Amino acid sequence: MAEFSPGLEGVVAAETAVSEVDGANGRLIYRGGYLIEDLVPVATYEEVAYLLWHGDLPNEKELEALRKQMAGARRLNPSARGTLMAMDAQTDPMDVLRTVVSAQGVAKSLTKPTLDEAIALTAIFPTIVGAAWRRRQGKEPVEPRDDLGHAANLLWMMEGKEPDTERARWVDTYLVLLADHGLNASTFAARVVASTGSDLASCVVGAIAALKGPAHGGATFAARSMLDKIGSAQNAEQWLADAHARHERFSGFGHRVYRTYDPRAKILREMAETAAPDLYKTAARTEEVALKILHEAHPERPNATNVDFWASVVLSGAGIPKELFTTLFATSRVSGWTAHVLESLADLRIIRPASRWIGPQPGKKPLQLAKR
Amino acid sequence: MTSAYVPGLEGIVASQTGISMVDGQNGRLVYQGYVIADLAEQMSFEEVAFLLWEGRLPTRAELEALSLELAGHRSLTQAATIALDALPMDTDPMDILRSVVSVQGAEHKLEKPSVPLAIRATASFPTILAMFNRRQLGLEPIKSRRELGHAANYLYMLNGKESSPEIVRALNTYLVLLADHGMNASTFAARVIASTESDLISALVGAIGALKGPAHGGAPAAVIEQLELIGTADRAEQWMRDARKRKVKFMGFGHRIYRVYDPRAAILKEMCRRMNPKFYELATRVEEVALQILHEEHPERPQSTNVEFYSAGVLQAIGLPKEFFTPTFAVSRVAGWSAHVLEQAANNRIIRPQSEYIGPEPRKPVPLAERA
Repeated sequence: MAEFSPGLEGVVAAETAVSEVDGANGRLIYRGGYLIEDLVPVATYEEVAYLLWHGDLPNEKELEALRKQMAGARRLNPSARGTLMAMDAQTDPMDVLRTVVSAQGVAKSLTKPTLDEAIALTAIFPTIVGAAWRRRQGKEPVEPRDDLGHAANLLWMMEGKEPDTERARWVDTYLVLLADHGLNASTFAARVVASTGSDLASCVVGAIAALKGPAHGGATFAARSMLDKIGSAQNAEQWLADAHARHERFSGFGHRVYRTYDPRAKILREMAETAAPDLYKTAARTEEVALKILHEAHPERPNATNVDFWASVVLSGAGIPKELFTTLFATSRVSGWTAHVLESLADLRIIRPASRWIGPQPGKKPLQLAKR
Repeated sequence: MTSAYVPGLEGIVASQTGISMVDGQNGRLVYQGYVIADLAEQMSFEEVAFLLWEGRLPTRAELEALSLELAGHRSLTQAATIALDALPMDTDPMDILRSVVSVQGAEHKLEKPSVPLAIRATASFPTILAMFNRRQLGLEPIKSRRELGHAANYLYMLNGKESSPEIVRALNTYLVLLADHGMNASTFAARVIASTESDLISALVGAIGALKGPAHGGAPAAVIEQLELIGTADRAEQWMRDARKRKVKFMGFGHRIYRVYDPRAAILKEMCRRMNPKFYELATRVEEVALQILHEEHPERPQSTNVEFYSAGVLQAIGLPKEFFTPTFAVSRVAGWSAHVLEQAANNRIIRPQSEYIGPEPRKPVPLAERA
């Protein structure tokens, strides 16, 4: 039997054409062979979702058809609506998303995942996120708008007013950047669920469940919370030195894959300067000091600013409250999750690894209750 | 270092565990050191759940405390009750379980997995299923009875009357036998989710999604359906040889691990002989023929009756509708899932394997207007 590699680090668990993280060269490649920095200037989120599902970018007609299909799938069905309205308004938005996606996806009998289901599930996320946010504020959810793109509709559903194009573009770029990232934990969870022959909603619900963890999707919230505590560029050095002395981890730093600067973080960093000028100053100084401290402590480790750090600044600039950051991540990644599930169907094999026994020697005899 | 791709992670050690061990060579299933045959018909499900969570069998006082805790958490929250009523009557009960467990466990803030949370979740599964089944039948829900054990209360809430001690014992034995089974796909899904530091309910919801797949827990109803098609023992050989020519899969056969007879199947088979003679007569003949045909086709493969084959006969004898076979598997396995989540959380590293990119080499995207 093979060696135990904690966290399956370095173990290849799937073959995929959906995306590739080339950590050594700091490249993120999306399906079709496109580098992330080449896609950002030319493609909206809907185009990238199409790319992940189909393998190439859509032409104008194909894109129009996808937009229509998504706009037509933005309304909750009665099960999902009933479930949403039953939930306490202050529920963690990720728990709302997990639950309402599950309710939206219930069926009479098991069906194989399809592209149409992937499109419908992707389309419903902004509706749930927007409704969760409005209910949290004591407001009624608003109806989705068929005439808006995915990112703009998300802001509409949160705020009930049409967003300016610049904010919608920042959100859209964020959605493009986060749509897939190799075999991360939530995508892997989706593939494990899919491997038993289960349905697409079950896969997506499992992926939301995994994304919720602070070691995965919850990291953007943690990065913004740290910036809030630091407060200003002047405070950064003192705060970080103190935190380091207390052996606190710096949120927004550290990842397993990239040896160079994360290409997504690079794009977000550039956007952050315009999107959130004040927060940018605090963040830039924080990054400078954090990297210096981390380098002094571990000179052998590579540069470690991760995507969560700069995403937290850009999303703040776009007017997204930090309580919703993880749900925004999910709103983006659902296209990648579903693309992976659909890809896995071509050669479905149950993912059932082995475990190593570290318990007591087998064969001890149980004592009767009275003798324990 | 990256290892070669192994489909399904077969033979790859993904975790160290002291909860259960599947000794496929010798046909042994071991819970925390105890061989399943020594537990099956002597322990209550509650004792085994305690064993999986705490690593030892409970004293009488501990068992009483656990039973009280479980009995005290059988009611659904108001949100869960409303959500249950909002879901269509003809929904797959596994989708009901996935959605209502998600509502029932929704939180304001992320909580670390703990034994008290495992107890609460375990207590809620039978209630959700029983309430849904009664609603389907147009019957009023039944309030749980504190003095009844886990198995007895599940049957009471389904039927509105107490079942005979023999039936209760049979369900209890089934629940004990299925409570854990090494690193199966649903347990692994739960551990992947827990590895991001997500909460217990998220891990359980993901596990339910994985269990639903026909390659995992979703097959016992199909065993009954196939036996119904075969009809009688004397028709078995003819039917099965014809079916095989049409590439029909034999339901309840095949697994990756046991080289000898699955120890759980052996116990369930004997229970079928006592409790469900009609099923037993047909099933034993079908098993004989299936093993004969499978051996002719693949003489190198080991004997392959799996746990679902005789589970179906036991659950039928207990009086469960076949749509509730897989959900009842979940009623049992939730004990193991939560034990694994607790073990993962106690010594965690995010489970993030690698993928092998099989897409095209990097190239430049074409702007929308220029795409063919």
